[in-house]
Amino acid sequence: MAKVLPSAPTPGGGRLTRGRRVSTTLAEINVIPLVDVMLVLLIIFMVAAPMLQRGVELNLPVASRSQEIASDRIFVSVPLSFREDRRVFIGQDPVRVDVLTERMRQMMLNRSDRQVFLRGDGGIELQELLDVMDRLKAAGVDKVGIINKLPGEQ
Amino acid sequence: MKRFAFGVGGWVLGIVLAGLSAAALTAQQPSEIQLVISGEPGTPPRYAVPDFIALTPDSADMAKTLGRVLWDDLNFEREFYMVPRDTYATIPLARTPEDVPFAAWRELGADAVVFGTVQKTDANTVRVQIRLFNVRSRQSVFAKEYTGSSANPRLYAHTMSDEIHQQQRALRGVARTKLTFSSDRNREKIAGPVDNRDVKEIYIADYDGENQRRVTTNRQLNIMPVWSPDARSIAYTSYRRGYPDIFIALIYQGLQETPTNGVGQNWLPVFSPDGTRICFTSNRDGNPELYVMDRDGSGVRRVTNNPAIDTTPTWSPNGTQIAFTSDRPGQPQIYIVGADGLNLRRITTMDSYADRPTWAPAPFNEIAYAARTGPGFDIKVFDLASGTTRQITFGEGSNESPAFSPNGRHLVFTSTRANDRVQVFTMGRDGRNVKQITRDANNYTPGWSN
Repeated sequence: MAKVLPSAPTPGGGRLTRGRRVSTTLAEINVIPLVDVMLVLLIIFMVAAPMLQRGVELNLPVASRSQEIASDRIFVSVPLSFREDRRVFIGQDPVRVDVLTERMRQMMLNRSDRQVFLRGDGGIELQELLDVMDRLKAAGVDKVGIINKLPGEQ
Repeated sequence: MKRFAFGVGGWVLGIVLAGLSAAALTAQQPSEIQLVISGEPGTPPRYAVPDFIALTPDSADMAKTLGRVLWDDLNFEREFYMVPRDTYATIPLARTPEDVPFAAWRELGADAVVFGTVQKTDANTVRVQIRLFNVRSRQSVFAKEYTGSSANPRLYAHTMSDEIHQQQRALRGVARTKLTFSSDRNREKIAGPVDNRDVKEIYIADYDGENQRRVTTNRQLNIMPVWSPDARSIAYTSYRRGYPDIFIALIYQGLQETPTNGVGQNWLPVFSPDGTRICFTSNRDGNPELYVMDRDGSGVRRVTNNPAIDTTPTWSPNGTQIAFTSDRPGQPQIYIVGADGLNLRRITTMDSYADRPTWAPAPFNEIAYAARTGPGFDIKVFDLASGTTRQITFGEGSNESPAFSPNGRHLVFTSTRANDRVQVFTMGRDGRNVKQITRDANNYTPGWSN
């Protein structure tokens, strides 16, 4: 009963046609794996950035009313070890507190905003912090800001 | 097999030897040492000058003086940031150049530190050594030794300061220059019929006001001293013969010259920059005019010719022009004329009263003068290139009689700002860093030596 139509594809011919289709390739770059890698890198750096924190390691005191610091400033850190070795840090640079006044005077020489941010460890006594602040004032610093962190901030 | 091993060994040895000889070659060549100490970008280099080391116990005072004076001298030109000496207390004094505590100086922020020693070799002579270290590279960039009399240790510090400025900044320092001025500090009265007036005598002093010495001793009016360009003579106006005349004191020989020698009345001598001519004021032809003569008094030529008074001349740095004060417009004003008497022009137009011009040495093409500003005078500077005037004192007392330092970076002047007396001060050419030189009685009309 089966009619053999002349237009019907022969099994051999059909196989030939399918084979031709497979041989045509897609000539475009597959960007999807690239985007995947980029996004993974982005996430890694986003996670890592807060860990690259400026200054020495110390526990900042906590206060709820405080303002953000805008741009790059001079930071003076008073770590808990100040009590033993009388050393503070200007940025990352450890200096004896005896020469702090002179170093600050040199840094204030060509600055228009004579302000310094004091990062004192929460365990430092107020008297010790005021000693450091005195030396900053003697160097011609107009404003001394004390850095803290917000409650719950890490 | 054995021969092969020997061959490899020889090859390796050859390479090692070649490497050694290359290292030796580079060591023999002069290494590239940075001789000029620079500061952080945008800031002047910071210098620390601790006390010198006394190698013999009797030179301890001198060691302290040298450190202090050298610090002041280096500070005067404002080329360096000088780390204050009271901050050195915690830094141990090095006994030898090897144990200079560079880490401690670095912590204090110093870019350069001085290490000096002083030693008495016998009763009257000293040997002073100085090294200037770059604190970062720990290399010595300046090393000198001086031997000489122990009479004036400050002179060693002045010499070192001038040589450091020359080497580090290609700048001619003024630490060894001297001032001269006229003073009534003797509180003696002039003898004779003149109404009850104080004598004024000529004095000299170091640029910082130390070692003030009296030059004239004739108990008359001796005023308006100026240095000769070789800094060995002082020309001044004296009334010792009863009328004003010009005298030249050869201060190191103790001699005196009178080039005009009684022709008319003569005032206000000034040496030309090459020292061969003198410009002065004289009334020999009837009224005060400017004249130029050779240093020995010969070849007198008249420069100005006007019924008004022409006085207080000053030479241009190349000796071709003379600036002076003239009251021909009714009030004293500053004029410039060629040394040949041609090309007269007036330069001050904005001041009601302008007097005592003094021409700055090269490369500053400007004239400082005293201008009336309210009740007193203030010092103004006229820039010849741009024709603009700037004021550098602002009504602190009355400020008069400016004279430039030989490098043109400073001025000496008189002011009444300290008390109600007239005192000599120095300041930078921008009017900052005012420093009092004299404190006793009244002191007038200073001049600054080369």
